[in-house]
Amino acid sequence: MKKILIVDDEDVIRMLYGEELEDEGYNVITTGTGHGLIGLVESEKPDLIILDIKMAEHNGLDLLQDIRKQFYNIPVILCSAYSSYKGDLKSIAADYYVVKSADLSELKQKIKMALEGHIPFQSTRE
Amino acid sequence: MHIEENPNDIRAADLIVGIPSYNEAKLISYPTQMASEGLIKYFGNKNSVIINCDNNSPDGTRDAFMNTPTEVPKIYLSTPPGVKGKGNNVRNLFKKSCDLGAQAVVVVDADLKSITPRWIKNLAEPLFEDFGFVAPLYIRHKYDGTITNNIAYPMTRSIYGRRVRQPIGGDFGFSGELAEIYLKQGDWTPAVVEFGIDIWMTTTAMCHDIPICQSYMGRPKIHKPKDPGESLGPMFLQVVGTIFDIMTKKVAFWKEVRWSKPTAIFGFGLGEMEMPPPVDVNLERLYDKFQAGFASHDALWKGILSTNVYKKLSEVKTLGFADFEFPTNLWAEILIDFAVAYKNGAHGREGIMESLIPLYYGRTCSFVIELEPMTIQQAEEVIEDQCIVFERSKPYLLRKWFDTE
Repeated sequence: MKKILIVDDEDVIRMLYGEELEDEGYNVITTGTGHGLIGLVESEKPDLIILDIKMAEHNGLDLLQDIRKQFYNIPVILCSAYSSYKGDLKSIAADYYVVKSADLSELKQKIKMALEGHIPFQSTRE
Repeated sequence: MHIEENPNDIRAADLIVGIPSYNEAKLISYPTQMASEGLIKYFGNKNSVIINCDNNSPDGTRDAFMNTPTEVPKIYLSTPPGVKGKGNNVRNLFKKSCDLGAQAVVVVDADLKSITPRWIKNLAEPLFEDFGFVAPLYIRHKYDGTITNNIAYPMTRSIYGRRVRQPIGGDFGFSGELAEIYLKQGDWTPAVVEFGIDIWMTTTAMCHDIPICQSYMGRPKIHKPKDPGESLGPMFLQVVGTIFDIMTKKVAFWKEVRWSKPTAIFGFGLGEMEMPPPVDVNLERLYDKFQAGFASHDALWKGILSTNVYKKLSEVKTLGFADFEFPTNLWAEILIDFAVAYKNGAHGREGIMESLIPLYYGRTCSFVIELEPMTIQQAEEVIEDQCIVFERSKPYLLRKWFDTE
């Protein structure tokens, strides 16, 4: 079972996404803060991270750069209520960018694509 | 065989900046100066050299380069008289970098007007960390780089699975180790020794598991922009021909690729984003050239394209200029059909490539119309969506490719 880590400071989002993705057959873990995120990724070894951008104490785009420095191959989907961050070049380091919606079909589709993504002989550092 | 002038008798270097050129006497001094400043400012502890790799330009490029005052020593390399091509120049650079034992090599275009010393830092620094190939990331005008946006980026991304936004940017960094790999390749085709070199370098790095990053340059690329309908010339044939050639050779790699992955990004925190200058496009001319293509290539297109794709193209033909649209999925399938026809060679590769040009004009016309009301950021989103369409076409590519092998 693939493990998904949701990083979002809104309880409702964590609950809604968690339930929907568990129904899809994923093992879901959540955190409401970017504090200790790298340690959490290290210990939990998720197969994919869903990362909010505008959080009370953290900017998801900066967290994304931190993740990429150590875990280059973990797929990360930026999931924000705002589409404007798409224009920030930092968002290029994510696998996908999804604008939050009550309909999770796009998010589910991008999760599937990110988990299916495959390149032969891929470097671990990349 | 090449011509070399090495007045400082440089025999070793850690870091090289190479500037390929042909008839760039008017513009080469500026990137040369910026390269020297960047090498001194950011890599003062390294042995550096600037190399102009030229095609024996008759306009005085050599003098303009060698007479540019720089703190960093310079070497002039040239192909023999009569031998042209950017790829030949870059191959001379590969050889020289191996001779000098360079750890890192940066290549910048000779016609660059917006290069800063920081570009040298951002293209070279990742090479002293773990990366072997550095591609540039810069803001370009939404109408600049139409071959990149409509062919090179979506095709390399969907075929090889790596997202390199400027795979033919012209400005690159690569490790000394990768220079040796490049030299050992046996596919120095006539297109690769000319403008096919950029896409060849990027794709070869992708297929050799070289750690790749994209480096943000902080300023837009300002050089001699070209109206895509006016001055396409041999560059289109060489770039696209090289993409098709490499597809044929690297099929064992790309057939395993699914979707795509981002690459590492380097060089943020450079302050305000500067906007690139506008690029003029003559839309009517693109539309007319597309329509004219039916008169000269219709029979060949019918032979190359699958029945359904040809039918959809025929529908596009009926659209007037006011409501013209050339859908992305049709364009992706056309490129796939052409790549397969090129591999099979049944219609003659030169004719196949020539006949793709009017279709490219049609697609570019539609692309420019679609982007007209958009900001550069919105245009980027369109290009990203277009890449997803190309990635979704991969099963079609696999079916077509292996049905006909």
